[in-house]
This record gives sequence, structure tokens and C-alpha cells, in this order.
Amino acid sequence: MELFDDFPSLGRTELRDLKKGIDLAFRDFSQANGEAIEGFFDPLMFFMVWFEKLLINAPWPLMILIFALLAWLGARSIPIVIGTIASFLAIGFFGMWEDTMATVAIISVATFLCIGLGIPLGILMSRSNRVQAVITPILDVMQTIPSFVYLIPVVMLLGIGKVPGLIAVCIYAIPPIVRLTNLGIRLVDKEVLEAAEAFGSSYRQKLFDVQIPLALPNIFAGVNQTIMMALAMVVIAAMIGVKGLGVPVLRAVSNQYLALGMMNGLAIVALAVIFDRVSQEYGKRLQKHRQGGHGV
Amino acid sequence: MNKLVKGLAAAGVAAAMSQGAVAACGDVTIAEMNWASAEFMANVDKIILEKGYGCNVELIPGATLTTFASMETKGVPDIAPELWTQAVEVPLRAALEAGSLHSMNPKPIQGAGEGWVVPDYTLVNHPELKTVLDIIEHPELFPYKEDPSKGAFVGCPAGWGCQQVNNNLFTAFDMEAKGWVLVDPGSAAGLDGAMAKAVQRGDDYFGYYWSPTAMMGKYKMEMVDFGVPFVEMDHWTNCITQAECAAPKQSAWSASEINTIVTDSFMKNNDPKTAAYISARVFPAAEMGEMLVYMGDNQASGGDAAIEFLKNHEDLWTQWVGVQAANLIKKSLN
Repeated sequence: MELFDDFPSLGRTELRDLKKGIDLAFRDFSQANGEAIEGFFDPLMFFMVWFEKLLINAPWPLMILIFALLAWLGARSIPIVIGTIASFLAIGFFGMWEDTMATVAIISVATFLCIGLGIPLGILMSRSNRVQAVITPILDVMQTIPSFVYLIPVVMLLGIGKVPGLIAVCIYAIPPIVRLTNLGIRLVDKEVLEAAEAFGSSYRQKLFDVQIPLALPNIFAGVNQTIMMALAMVVIAAMIGVKGLGVPVLRAVSNQYLALGMMNGLAIVALAVIFDRVSQEYGKRLQKHRQGGHGV
Repeated sequence: MNKLVKGLAAAGVAAAMSQGAVAACGDVTIAEMNWASAEFMANVDKIILEKGYGCNVELIPGATLTTFASMETKGVPDIAPELWTQAVEVPLRAALEAGSLHSMNPKPIQGAGEGWVVPDYTLVNHPELKTVLDIIEHPELFPYKEDPSKGAFVGCPAGWGCQQVNNNLFTAFDMEAKGWVLVDPGSAAGLDGAMAKAVQRGDDYFGYYWSPTAMMGKYKMEMVDFGVPFVEMDHWTNCITQAECAAPKQSAWSASEINTIVTDSFMKNNDPKTAAYISARVFPAAEMGEMLVYMGDNQASGGDAAIEFLKNHEDLWTQWVGVQAANLIKKSLN
């Protein structure tokens, strides 16, 4: 009966040796390859440093103008443009301009990186069930594993700063764009595809002229979710030395500064709302032109 | 059957011994605070007082503030082996003056406190770097990843009390003009990770840390002498530790004071030999660091580490206790 009372587990020493062995193996790996891996990311890091400096050093009226213009190009909606301008004015007025620009810098780079990697990956997944079977569980892990768990190896390998922060953000933010690209393409009507084939479309034409355009609403939902999740990681990224709105939030948390935490938290929310509305409106506009053709 | 008789006999002897011991020492409660070095020290005290002096020791877990409050108002636990006095400065001073608490050992751990650290090999490879004043002239030895023309000084995570001190000392030593960047590691994990990564690669590293900690022992970090004396307390508390400090002066880090604090009843009623032990036991920084690394590497409890320490550092602890007690303790370890 003893077997059923105590779970037959590894002994204390075996377990300790196992953990120690894994830690040592990782340490050896990071000693051997750390510098090369860091070197690989160097161009990205210098770009991020440059981009952050650019946003921070540009005159603020110019930056607000650019944000307003981007909002207009994306959403074509006067209320959203006014909301954008008002939010950035308020952010600057409450002394959060520099932190906000630093956050915008890392979030934009993270979003573009995630989209650039995520959409091709999603297309690949939609092409093959086998690829989908492999990638889906990996995405599940990326979304659910507590961030601190992967921060340890990332920091051991790359130190603290922008690149490890970017990697941490992307691990969390890339799954939605991959999933929704895959889903969008798989949901395209079989009959539409048959019609395209009947017209003699090549494989490429089917993908780029039929499937992707029809999947755009879903892909845009993915882009939107990716931006939101990247913003949600701002505070976690600050824990490994990424400048931005997360730093004052951390300071507020450890000192119970209610107002400081609220203000910076709300600035993150304001960014999220702006990005969300603009990208959603843009997505909707992309759908509009085809509303008549394909029933709603 | 035979076993049972032996067992009973052993129990009887033990009971007799402990009864005799109770007469000599009595019940003692020791605070086991919730961090590694305090846990370790409490367990060393427990073993030495129990085995060497026959006390009946109970460990009472707690945090600094709760333990202090309980000692002050209820007189329990009797001994706080590692109390960081700055955390409870004002009430502690009042209690010491009123005589309800006493300091029995003003420096139980050598080299304890906060400060600026470098790996030991940096000091070996650059023997000209003797103090902080020397190091800050050489930012090129500690290049900042994001701007290699500058030197990186890794400060304190956002929101910690030490952040103001680091900011102000950074200004006081005019480090920005000398080509330094004050890097915010963001969290304890970031600070530890930055240090671990640099040392594992053999890179030079300059930053804030505190002792006694496993990190200091594990990565063989050395606290650097500031090369300037500690500024007067008034300037430290009213300017350097504050966010608004117009003209911070150069200063060494304030010596963090660790005391072994005991209650008045323990002070009056204890066996004088136990008091002699408590005031004599001073852990050198190296041995303390070694034990903290042992605890971290082996995920050992304070009790395991205390036994390991008593087994391996006989030369050290036998100086703290009398010959008779030393023999009793040695016997109990085998």
C-alpha cells in the first residue's frame, strides 16, 4: 500500500542534481554562445536605440502632428483624431512625454517584428496540417507560461535592456497574429477557392489574390490583439531594464504611490485605446470595398 | 525487544540531561527572520545553545517589523540574531534607552551592508582601481551595451529606497560628465541577471549590491571602498536619501547596522556563558557568503546550512564558545 500513499518521486538529491545539471548546461551554453547571439541582435538593438532617441528628441508638436496624421490615415474619423491629439496633450501635460515616447518606440518595433514574423508563420500553418499540429502547442506554451520563467534564460543570455525586453514582449504578443492569420485563411469559403481554380488561378494567385484578401478581417483582428498584448507587457519589460511607462508603474507599486501608478497606467491605456481604434477602423475600411460582392 | 530497551534507556538519559540543562540555561526563543542569512544564523545559535549550553531553544519565524514589535511589547522572542537596525531606527533607539531591549553584539556579520561592487577579477586585472574614485575615471572598462562610448553603472531597481541614494551619489561623484550612464535594472531579477551574466562571461561589471547575500558569494563580488568618508548623518538622511536633493555631497554608503538584539529578561536571566557566546560570534564576510551560496546551490534550509557550517568551520566557531561547550557540540555533530 505504501506505493499508493507516497507518490514515487525522484529523491531530493536526484532532483537537485537534475536541476543543477540543467542550470549548468544552460550556463555553459550561454558562456559559449552568448556573445554570438548578442552580436546577432546588435543591429536590432542599435536601431531601437536610434528609434527611441528619434521619438524622444523630435519636437513634441511635430510628433503629435504625426500621430494625428497616422490616426487620420488609419481611421478616417475626426473623433478618433481629436481623441488622439487630446490624449497626447494630456500625457505631455502630466510629464509623461519621454516615457510614453520610449514605450511607443518599443511597442512599434515589437508590433512590426511580430507581424513580420507572425503572418508568414500563420500562412505556413494554414498550408499544412502537420505544421499546424506542431506550432499550435508551442503557441499555447508561449501564451500561458509565466513571463518570469522565460525572463531568466533571456536575461542570462542577453543581459538586461531593449533586446531582451523586445523578445519577452514578442513571446507573449506574437501568438494572436499567427493564430488568426491561420484561422482567417482556413475559413475562406471552399467554393470561392473552387471558383478561383476554375478561372485557372495559380497557387500564388489563389493565396495572394483570394485567400489573404478574404482573410484580412481576421488578420487585422490578430494585429489588433498583438498590439494590445504588447502594451500589456510594458510593465514586465520594465522589470528587465526597458525604459518607458512601465518604470514609473514599478516605482509606484513598490512604494504605494497611488497617483503615480494611476497616471502612468492610464497613459498605457490611452495608447492602447488609440492603437486599438485606429487599427480596427483601418481593418473595417479594408472590408468595406468587398461588402457588396460577398454576402455578410 | 533489545532495540526498545536501548531506545528507552537513551530517552531516559536524554531526559536527565535536558533536565540538568534546563536548570543551567532554560527556555530560549530565537527569531528566525525570513531571509537566508538570518535563517542560517538563527539555526547556528539554536544548535550551539542547545548542544553546547543545554538550552531549550525554540525558533520563532517572522519578519523584521513583526519580530521587533513582538520583542518590544511581549518580550518574545528573546534573541534577534540579525536585526537591521535602520528599518526600526526610531523605536529601537527608544527601546534601548528605556532598557527594554539590549544590543548584545553590535556587528555579528562583517562586511554587511550596501555599496558598489565589482567582480574580484576586475580588481586583480586592474590593480590601479582601489576605490570608487579610481573606478569612475575609467568608464571605458565597463562599456554600456546600448551606447558603447559610455560606461554602465547598474543602479538599484525602480522604486527601491536605494534608488534615491544611487541617483544622488551618481550626481555627487559627477559621473554623468565623466561618461557614465546610470542603468535601471528594473527589478531584483534584472539586477541579479545583469550581474550573473557579466560575471559568467568574465566581463567587467560595476553596480550596486548588498551583503551578506548568496549573489555576492556566488559570483565573488567585492565591495569597493568609496575613497571618501561617510558624510554626516544629517546630510545623508535629509538629502542623499531623498528624491529632492539639490547639492548631494560625495559620501561612502552609510554603514548598515546589524545588531544582535536581546530582550531585557534574557539579558537579566541568561546563563552568562550564553551571553559571552552571543557577543563573541562574528561571521566573517567570506564564510557567511560561502554558507549562503551553499544554501542557494543545494536549496538547503537554514538548519542544513548551520550543520554544514559547524562541521566545516570548527576553527571559527570554537573561538566563540568555551572548551567544554565546543566538545559537547562536536560530539553532537557526529
